[in-house]
Amino acid sequence: MHNNDIKKNISKVAFFLFSLILILIVYITYIQVVNSDELVNNPLNKRTAASSNKIQRGSIIDRSGNKLAYSEKNDDGHFTRVYPFNEKFAHVVGYENAKLGNTGIEAVYNSYLSGTDNISAKFGAIQKLIKKNNGYDVVLTIDSKLQQVAYDALGNRNGAIIVLNPKNGAILAMVSKPSFNPNLINESWTDIQNNSSALLLNRATQGLYPPGSILKTMILDATLKEHKVTLQDTFDCPGYLKVSDDYTLYESGKVAYGKLNLKEALAVSSNTTFATLALKLGSVKVEDTFKRFGFDKKIENEDFIESPTVLPNFNELSDGDLCQVGIGQGSLLITPLRMALMTSVFANKGVIMKPHLLNEIRAVDGSIIKKYSAEKWLEVTSKENAKIISEFMENVVENGTGRNARISGIRVAGKTGTAENAEENPHAWFIGFAPAEDPELVVVVIIENGGGGGKIAAPIAKKIIVSALK
Amino acid sequence: MNSLEKKEELLIILACLIFLIGISIVQLQNLGNLNFTVLLQELGLVVIYFITHKVLRRYYPNGDPYLLPLTISLISIGLTMIYRLKPILFLQQLKWTFIGIFVFTLSIYFFRKLNIFANYKYIIGLIGVCLLLSSIIFGTDIGGHRSWVIIGAFRFQPSEFAKIFIVIFLAAYLIEHKVVLGLHTNKLGPLIMPSFRFIAPLIAIWGLAMMMFLLQRDLGSALLFFCIAVLMTYMANNNLSYLCIASLFFFIGSFVSYLFFDHVKVRIDIWRNPWMDPNGQAYQIIQSLFAMGSGKILGTGITYGHPEFIPEVHTDFIFAAIAEELGLLGAVAVILIYMLIIYRGFKISLMCENEIDALIAAGISASIALQIFTIIAGVTKFLPLTGITLPFLSYGGSSMITSFIMIGLLFALSEKRNNIA
Repeated sequence: MHNNDIKKNISKVAFFLFSLILILIVYITYIQVVNSDELVNNPLNKRTAASSNKIQRGSIIDRSGNKLAYSEKNDDGHFTRVYPFNEKFAHVVGYENAKLGNTGIEAVYNSYLSGTDNISAKFGAIQKLIKKNNGYDVVLTIDSKLQQVAYDALGNRNGAIIVLNPKNGAILAMVSKPSFNPNLINESWTDIQNNSSALLLNRATQGLYPPGSILKTMILDATLKEHKVTLQDTFDCPGYLKVSDDYTLYESGKVAYGKLNLKEALAVSSNTTFATLALKLGSVKVEDTFKRFGFDKKIENEDFIESPTVLPNFNELSDGDLCQVGIGQGSLLITPLRMALMTSVFANKGVIMKPHLLNEIRAVDGSIIKKYSAEKWLEVTSKENAKIISEFMENVVENGTGRNARISGIRVAGKTGTAENAEENPHAWFIGFAPAEDPELVVVVIIENGGGGGKIAAPIAKKIIVSALK
Repeated sequence: MNSLEKKEELLIILACLIFLIGISIVQLQNLGNLNFTVLLQELGLVVIYFITHKVLRRYYPNGDPYLLPLTISLISIGLTMIYRLKPILFLQQLKWTFIGIFVFTLSIYFFRKLNIFANYKYIIGLIGVCLLLSSIIFGTDIGGHRSWVIIGAFRFQPSEFAKIFIVIFLAAYLIEHKVVLGLHTNKLGPLIMPSFRFIAPLIAIWGLAMMMFLLQRDLGSALLFFCIAVLMTYMANNNLSYLCIASLFFFIGSFVSYLFFDHVKVRIDIWRNPWMDPNGQAYQIIQSLFAMGSGKILGTGITYGHPEFIPEVHTDFIFAAIAEELGLLGAVAVILIYMLIIYRGFKISLMCENEIDALIAAGISASIALQIFTIIAGVTKFLPLTGITLPFLSYGGSSMITSFIMIGLLFALSEKRNNIA
């Protein structure tokens, strides 16, 4: 009797202890499987640095083979990362740093560059059989010559430039100023942190600005789509538009244009005309247009970090607010990249191709590991409307506010913007593409608090187009 | 050759293959070729294994055929890891293994006469207590553990050996008094208060454990002793009240020490949030977590990881090194081997005719289970870290020999069972 009791208790205790150990196994599984990536990538984990000393990190290369970042072996056997162009590619390429972590392409394609891609890491010891001494090279769509022209053209002003191919979405140049030198990231880290002008911010994809008049191209597209006005209709432009009892909208400089049709209105960038168009469309159609152009969608591409567009709450817009949206002002905030995509709608027959920086990833022996193939992102508008707006934009450069971007021998289409903001001086914008008959590049220039778009931004776009096409 | 012998032989061959292949891999990786001297040493150990196997089967043909092969598997993994982590210590650990095996065989011989030992339970208990006290009084700090006692050229950890004495004493004491005093109980509310004589050893061991805990800072051993005493009392008496009272004691003890003793507070705080001080107090546990995370499912492969980032990796943290280089599969495999040993231990206990024997076998199995649970939970941050060794894997002689004695005890009890049957 007693004997049985003891055995029963022993079984209970054995069962209890086995349960404890099983719980432990579940917990260990959690650490080694679920929690694993987090622990591996923790900046305090010295393993990343230890393995990076064994494998030569791959280079980051532009479309014509120029190295934008490469690793060099020191005398002590360790590798140093070199960025030969210093500040010029800092926001695109980023930096690789054991202490601060990685940014830009260095972060996005880290597993390929470091040769420790996650797929083979899962194979445990077996991966050692295919052990390699070099990481993969990452080839970008960037054209380093064009990037340098753009970088120099911005001078010492703050702002951003994006150049992309509207036919496939390949980003050819992406400049953000002020910049920093990734070679000196350790030494200058405190200065960078303390600098008030956000040196690390990639203004091209993360800078949020009021678009100003460049957005009128989109309002024009909405007008054409909804058939609110014909191309022959004219608008009275006395220099102001009385929207309500307590709100009147003025032309820039309060100029009275008399009667304007749509083409002329875009050429002179008439605020009253586009405010009127926005009112005719109504807030629902204007909101639909923003959606149609993808402003509410994420671009599913990890090549860069993008700030989401700040759109007004369309349900609560007063007529005055709607007029402001119609001329790209109000609470609207958009990144230069999104303006480049909007421009590419008119340059590429109504279609936005997915923007990307990656061209291909290849091994040291030249074999291709991964290749980017062009992908359609959105079909925004009809070919016909895109063609009309393209012609109108060509007229802007030929006869309107964009004359400073005119180039003899190349048909340039464009639109200027002078965006009011919280500070005294407006932001200078220029969006454009060339050659207009068969566009090969879209150019977006923004200069923070630079002044008039036609005067300040258009000549910079001109320099870039000349350099690319001549 | 009977079937048990065949079974054991086959399993030992497999266990030895782990050893031979493991060491060869490390050599080819680190030296580029095979070291002949080390190979001879390896073969020496393998020969000893087979001699032991033959001797066991000759004199105790009905003993459990799984205990020795399982033990050898663990030692194979342990020696391989030590050779990979601290090659200088390999030879010394090999020596401990030789001595361990010898002591194992001797202990089987002695424990066959366990009935006689039981008659001297008070002497055994006294020896156990003296061993514990000696480490409390003469304890010297080596490598962060203050549980070492140095006598001349010898240094050892008496608390490791004390385990066995305490288990035997408790088993004999509890069973004997169970019959006499089992029915004398006083009620106190919902709890049935046990008679004082029944829980006297429990209180004594609790007191000793608290002393070890507070004076020596040996949290691991203290916890181990206390839990063994509680579980054995429960197994002998089947009264949940003991567990409740013990838990109460445990929580009061832990709470008071958390409030009044800094080193306890530090340990608990590290466990609660190691990321507060990842490069200071919590360095070791954080490095251990990094190692385990880097191992993923299949491990980095032996010699390909970086377990050397963990301080004291060859003793208390050897499990983290296994988890990194052999992955989740290796780590779970090691735990499963322990579970099989513990399972055999409890099975042997349940087959025993004699209650004292049954309780001893159960006590030993429970102590192995508690020990591996405590240390593995500690290095994985499941529980606060307590410095105790992982039997047969961690570097160290006291641990190796004690673990072998415990396996010897289980083996002796398994053999007896069959003789009577």
